[in-house]
Amino acid sequence: MARSIFRSGLFLHGELSFHSRIRGGENAFTLRISDHPVYATKPMADLLLVLTPEMWRAYREKLHKGSLVVAEESARAEGENVISIPALKLAREKLNFPIAAGVILLGAIARLLGLSQETVSQAIREVFGEKADPNLDALDIGWGLVSDSLFELPAPQFRRGEYMLLTGGQAVGAGAITAGCRFLASYPMTPGTPVMEFLAQRGERYGIVVEQAEDEIAAINMALGASYAGARSMVTTSGGGFALMVEGLSLAGMIETPVVIHIGQRPGPATGLPTRTSPENLLFALYAGHGGFSRYLCAPATPESAFYLTIKAFELAEKYQVPAIILTDQFLVDSYAVVPKISPERFRINDHTLSPEQFAQFASYERFALTESGVSPRALPGLSQHLVLVDSDEHDTYGRITEDLTIRKAMVEKRLRKEKGLQRETDNPSVFPEDLHGRVVLVSWGSTLGTVREAVEILNTQEDCFAHVHFQDLWPLRWKGISEVLGEAKEVITVEGNAWGQLGKLLRQETGIRPSRHIGRYDGRPFTPEDIVEEIRHEA
Amino acid sequence: MKPEDFLADVELAWCPGCGNFAIRKALAQALSELGLSPHQVVLVTGIGQAAKIVHYMKVNGFDGLHGRTIAAAAGIKMANPNLTVIAESGDGDIYGEGGNHLIHNIRRNLDITVIVHDNRVYGLTKGQASPTAPAGYRTRAQPFGVLSRPFNPLSLAMGAGFIAQAFSGEVEHTAMLFVRAIKYRGFALVNVLHPCPSWNRVQTFAWYKERVYFVEESGHDPHDRFKAWHLVQENSDRIPIGIIFEGPQEPTWEEKHPVLREGPLAGRPLLRPQEISSLLAEFV
Repeated sequence: MARSIFRSGLFLHGELSFHSRIRGGENAFTLRISDHPVYATKPMADLLLVLTPEMWRAYREKLHKGSLVVAEESARAEGENVISIPALKLAREKLNFPIAAGVILLGAIARLLGLSQETVSQAIREVFGEKADPNLDALDIGWGLVSDSLFELPAPQFRRGEYMLLTGGQAVGAGAITAGCRFLASYPMTPGTPVMEFLAQRGERYGIVVEQAEDEIAAINMALGASYAGARSMVTTSGGGFALMVEGLSLAGMIETPVVIHIGQRPGPATGLPTRTSPENLLFALYAGHGGFSRYLCAPATPESAFYLTIKAFELAEKYQVPAIILTDQFLVDSYAVVPKISPERFRINDHTLSPEQFAQFASYERFALTESGVSPRALPGLSQHLVLVDSDEHDTYGRITEDLTIRKAMVEKRLRKEKGLQRETDNPSVFPEDLHGRVVLVSWGSTLGTVREAVEILNTQEDCFAHVHFQDLWPLRWKGISEVLGEAKEVITVEGNAWGQLGKLLRQETGIRPSRHIGRYDGRPFTPEDIVEEIRHEA
Repeated sequence: MKPEDFLADVELAWCPGCGNFAIRKALAQALSELGLSPHQVVLVTGIGQAAKIVHYMKVNGFDGLHGRTIAAAAGIKMANPNLTVIAESGDGDIYGEGGNHLIHNIRRNLDITVIVHDNRVYGLTKGQASPTAPAGYRTRAQPFGVLSRPFNPLSLAMGAGFIAQAFSGEVEHTAMLFVRAIKYRGFALVNVLHPCPSWNRVQTFAWYKERVYFVEESGHDPHDRFKAWHLVQENSDRIPIGIIFEGPQEPTWEEKHPVLREGPLAGRPLLRPQEISSLLAEFV
């Protein structure tokens, strides 16, 4: 369905919500169609497609007065605007292919929405490939069950090739491949796993080794081993798996070996709600690891920025020889969006290791040579007669274990100096509108960009006094400038999908600005713009 | 390269009489006999007295976290199968903290060699019982004696292609076992028994000397997995040293991996623009 809309030249946002089990339960796909890019989901449905009685019970409250319901007969949906279709029966009797019942229903709603049958057929061929035929028959059946379109979709907004349809998880995976990722080790954990599967399925084609590790501790240590030996490496996990990786994170800091860590956040603590969403690991990701070392931390807002920030994470990890952490969440990982065509040219990807020729020219090679930037020339083992030694103990410039206190002090300072360089590479938050003077500013980070922006636009139609500041790069930032910009605001309110206001704490710590309140959603579902508007108006 | 070419000229922080000195000597001898150059070898260690060996050798080194030695070694081998990768650490590191990595790397069967310094005691943390400490062994941390049974590493490793046991008191024999283990194409484990003169007052040098015997002199057939199993289960006062089991050569993990068949990951160029275009075409 999403592909048909995309092929019709329209923007969409498709949000996936499911229960933590293999089959059954309440699973839903919320598809929002628009004439401009959208990155937020909506609370109410104009058209509800119901497959089971459970879904009908769970989602009938999402209907408004003019909503239309298309329901599989056995779901027993009743009401004025319900079109009941015996799709299962038809699929069994006419096609002898019960699994195609969904496509029969899709055919019906596609016609009701006013899509062209050719476009939908094309989308089915793209999705099902060789198995398209019975599904095309199912589409015909569904198409014939309703007569006319009841909705008026906007005119096509773009031509094929100008935009892309992808999820945040696919974008992180594509960004990693583009950035030259050669190695991924991970232990399956929702919602980090889609990135592992994306790379695994394309590993042979693009030359990437993907290994399912015995646990997350193994995953990060394998990734660091592979990175030391010369493969750009990453791990993907969720909060609980990252917790197991933390000693390895600290090792990455100590041996100054690049690694990219993708954390698809979900509600905790502990196992929490495995298949739901909650950006609540900001402070954990920022402060994880014993001892002090530099790191890069970002939280992409859309599939488009997930692609670019993943490239940036690899690039900064390699350039500064630090761990780089990408924070997404289930909402971003699993949601489809139509984004402007992504292109790898936006970031230059460079090799930051010494070539065998450069390496051979050293009289004696010091892996941890003290430099002004804190970054030492990095060589790979086996590529010249020189040896490469790294050590999780405090070490001298050659990587040899030491307890010399003067060297210790110099090494601490070297590792922290890298933060200065990293700071120049990060972007300040986006500010909308530009002048915050006298405005109530909603401050957010990560996947809520589109949602909060829409909320601000809705609020400003009534009284134009709201603004939005959104963070994607989160560490290290140039806080002085941020403090000046935010200092203009009349009031600062944090909007985050967690109960504590983690960015609020960080803001207060780094800028002294104290948010007047926190709007949080922490039931495991993503924010909608309406949630935020209601909270703001309720308080006023 | 002579054995001395593999030894770093640094002060050694081990206790006098420690078995680690002999293991270091045997390793240098083995690397020399194998005709390797220092830069072709990566020695991966964890934390503990045994793990310090990486600083006392002249080869590439990755001194990682306690317990994660084999995991890091696996990553290195996957990224560059051309390197000779040796994971070496103590019994606490490999059998205690890192037990899970031992199990799963036996499954993976990468061509790596794992050398375990087994002195049945934690040296660096001052004398606590290790997983191989005998039941009843008393320490300051185990005042009632160890209540658990000792872990039998050779028995657990029975799924591996190459399993050997050495005694640090037999340097030449230990070096020979290292050569055979490194030569074996696949996962190889060498458990090296050695005394800890500072903490282990029971399993002393003399204690081992009285008990060890060479399996190659006892008529053991190392190619027979059932005989090997029998050997490591024997509950006697005598301790077998030598090649316990050497299975037939099977394809290693890296040989089976389609991506690695085209050469190491290390040193591969970044993707070409047309490769990236074909990747992104999936979303258009």
